[in-house]
Amino acid sequence: MSIFEYNGSALVAMVGKNCFAIAADRRLGVQLQTIATDFQRIYKMHDRLFIGLSGLATDAQTLYQRLVFRHKLYQLREERDMKPETFANLVSAILYEKRFGPYFCQPVIAGLSDEDKPFICTMDSIGAKELAKDFVVAGTASESLYGACEAMYKPDLEPEELFETISQALLASVDRDCLSGWGGHVYLVTPTEIKERILKGRMD
Amino acid sequence: MTKSTIELPPKGGFSFDLCKRNEMLFKKGVQPPSFRKTGTTIVGLIFQEGVVLGADTRATEGPIVADKNCEKIHYMAPNIYCCGAGTAADTEAVTDMVSSQLKLHRYHTGRESRVVTALTLLKSHLFNYQGYVSAALVLGGVDVTGPHLHTIYPHGSTDTLPFATMGSGSLAAMSVFESKYREGLTREEGINLVCEAISSGIFNDLGSGSNVDVCVITKGNVEYLRNHVLPNPRTYTSAKGYSFPKPTEVLMTKVIKLKEKVEVIEGGDAMEE
Amino acid sequence: MRMVEEGDRKLYPFRPYVCDGMKLDTSGLESTAPVFGIGNEFLSSGFQMTPSFQLPSATDFEGFQKEAIQMVKPAKGTTTLAFIFKHGVMVAADSRASMGGYISSQSVKKIIEINPYMLGTMAGGAADCQFWHRNLGIKCRLHELANKRRITVTGASKLLANILYSYRGMGLSVGTMIAGWDETGPGLYYVDSEGGRLKGMRFSVGSGSPYAYGVLDNGYRYDMTIEEAAELARRAIYHATFRDGASGGVASVYYVGSEGWKKLSGDDVGELHYKYYPVVPAASVEHEMVEVGAA
Repeated sequence: MSIFEYNGSALVAMVGKNCFAIAADRRLGVQLQTIATDFQRIYKMHDRLFIGLSGLATDAQTLYQRLVFRHKLYQLREERDMKPETFANLVSAILYEKRFGPYFCQPVIAGLSDEDKPFICTMDSIGAKELAKDFVVAGTASESLYGACEAMYKPDLEPEELFETISQALLASVDRDCLSGWGGHVYLVTPTEIKERILKGRMD
Repeated sequence: MTKSTIELPPKGGFSFDLCKRNEMLFKKGVQPPSFRKTGTTIVGLIFQEGVVLGADTRATEGPIVADKNCEKIHYMAPNIYCCGAGTAADTEAVTDMVSSQLKLHRYHTGRESRVVTALTLLKSHLFNYQGYVSAALVLGGVDVTGPHLHTIYPHGSTDTLPFATMGSGSLAAMSVFESKYREGLTREEGINLVCEAISSGIFNDLGSGSNVDVCVITKGNVEYLRNHVLPNPRTYTSAKGYSFPKPTEVLMTKVIKLKEKVEVIEGGDAMEE
Repeated sequence: MRMVEEGDRKLYPFRPYVCDGMKLDTSGLESTAPVFGIGNEFLSSGFQMTPSFQLPSATDFEGFQKEAIQMVKPAKGTTTLAFIFKHGVMVAADSRASMGGYISSQSVKKIIEINPYMLGTMAGGAADCQFWHRNLGIKCRLHELANKRRITVTGASKLLANILYSYRGMGLSVGTMIAGWDETGPGLYYVDSEGGRLKGMRFSVGSGSPYAYGVLDNGYRYDMTIEEAAELARRAIYHATFRDGASGGVASVYYVGSEGWKKLSGDDVGELHYKYYPVVPAASVEHEMVEVGAA
C-alpha cells in the first residue's frame, strides 16, 4: 500500500474563460474504512486563491496550517493578497525543504490573477511544479481523472459549462476508485463571485 | 539549540524533521512515495558561434505522463542555460538556487557570469549530497572565454564536451550526434541536428515525448525557441466538446459575491454580499 | 485415476511438492471426495478421468506459491450475508470487484445458484469460488441421481469443506456460505478455504462483514416476515457498502424457502442511499445562501 492511498482522495482543477473550478471528493477513510463523508480537502487562501491537498490527511492539514501562517505573514508585510504564481512558489519551496523527509501530499493550486487570468498548478510531494493550461489532477483517482478530463475538457468554457464538465469528470472518475468518492465538492470562481457546490454522488 | 516561540520562515537548507517518522512508516511496510521524474532526452552541442541546447517536453510519474508540455531548459544567467533530467523537483530547485547565486555574484562583481562558475556551483552542491539530489544536467553558455558545454552527473562528476546527451533518451540522441556531428556547424545546421537528436529520443525512448524545445546561445544573444518543433499534435479533438446525458445533481449551493477590487483598504472586509 | 501414488506420499515430509514433474492431487474433482489411505477406486471408477495440473519444479515451492498468489491477487473486498429465520433463509450480497484501489466491476454476481434449492455466496477469489461451486453443483446432481433424493445442505457443505481441506495451504481463497432448503428445513453453513465449516443461524463474510453484522445483529428476530427479513438483509448490505470502500454496486437479495430460491430484489446502492436518507428538498434546489463577509 502506498502512503498516498492511506486516506484516499480525488482532486481536480480546470481552467475556463476568465474563471476556474476546483473540485474534490468528500471521503476521509482509513484504508478501506470510510470515516467521514463531509471532509474538506480544498482550502481557501483568499477570495481568488484555493489549494486542494491530496494524500495523507494528517500531513495535508499540517501543511495547510503552515501555508496559512506564511500567507498571513505575507499579507501583513505586503498589505495585499498573494498572487497565485507566488503562492505556488511558496508551496513548492515549503515542500522541497523537506526533500529527504517529505510531507505525503500532492497539492493542487488554483487561482485568479489580478488581471482575472486563471492559474492552475499541481506538484508532487517534493514540490516539482507542473503548470498546465487546461486541467490538473491529483489523488488516488488521478488515473481515472486524467482519462475523464482528457476526454471531456474543452478550452474557454463559460463558468456553468465548466462546472458541469468538472463535476461530471470528478463523479465519473471516483466511481472507479474504492478510496475516494462519497459525494463531491466544487468551487467555481469567476471575477465577481465564488460558487461553492456540494454534489450528489454514489455513496458506496 | 535556541528556538523562537513562533516558527519563522527558514533561511534555507533542507529540513530533516519528518525523516524519522517516514522511516518508521517505511519499516512498517508502507511504500515510499515516487516523485515526478523527467524521463528525458536532453542534448547540447557547440557550433560555429555558440551553443545549442535541446530538450523534449514530457514529464512522467511512473507510467503516467504527468505533463505533456513541460519546460526542461532552465534559465541560469542571461548567457547561460541548463537542461535538466532526473527528479523534476531536484533539477528545478538546483538550477533555481545556482541561478540566484550567479545573480548575486554578478551584482557583486559587475561582470557577466562564466559557465565554469555555474558548473562549479552545481557540481559542488550535487557532490555534497552524494547523488541523493538526483539531477543530471547539460549546461551550456557563452562567456568571455567563448562557448562552453558541460554535462553534470547526479554525483557531481562533470564532462566538457563538444556535444552531449543526457537522460533516458541519451542513447537514441547520441546515436544521431555520433553519426552527424562535425566541427564548425552553422547555426542552422546546429539547430537541425539538435532537433533530430531530440526527435530520435521522443520517438525511440518511452520516457521522452511530445515537443522539441531549443535554446540557441551566441555571443550577446539568446534565442529560446519554446516548442520549436511540434511532432505530436493532438489528433483527436472533439470540436463540439462533450455532452452529458444527465446533468449533475447539486445538493447545496453557496454563492459568495466578491467585492470590486482595485482599491486596497486597510483591514477592509475581504468579501460582502 | 489417482494422481498421487502411495510411493510419492512417503516423500511428503521431506520435500513437500518439489519433485520434478509432480502432479497436483486433483482427486477433489472426482465425484466423491477423496478418502485418504483407503483406495476409493471402487467409488470413483468409471465416472471420469480426473484432469490434473502440473506443479512447477521450483526449488523454493512455498516462496513460489506465495508470489503466485500475490500475482493473481484475488478480487477481495466483498460483503455477503445470510441468515435463517422463521420462513427460510435470506441471502444477500453486494456486487463490486476491486483490484487494489481500482474498481474493476460494479456488476458481479456474488450469489451463485448451485441448484434450485441451494445458493452459495462468493467472497475471496472469484475464480476459486465459481469453479468449486460449479463443481459442487455437479456433485450434488450426481448425489441426486445415485440416491433418488436431494442432497442435504449439511451434506453439500461437507463435500465442499472436504475438497477445500484437501487443498489447504495451496493458495485457494474461498469464503462462502452454503444456504438452502432440504427435508430438515432451512440450512446454513459457512465454509472457507482454511477448511473451516460452521453451522449457524447468521453469517456475514467479506471485508464489509463487520458493518453488516452490526445491522444484522441489531435488527434480527427469528419470527420476521419475509418482507422484513429482505429489508434487513438489504439494509445490512447497504450499510456495509457505505462504510467499506471495497463493497458497493448492487445489493441483491435472495430468499430460499420450501419451494426453492427466489431473487427478491437487486437495488443500486447509489440510489438506495438517497432512498434511506432523502435529501431535504429545500437544500437540494439551487438555493442561494449569502454568506456574511468574514472580517
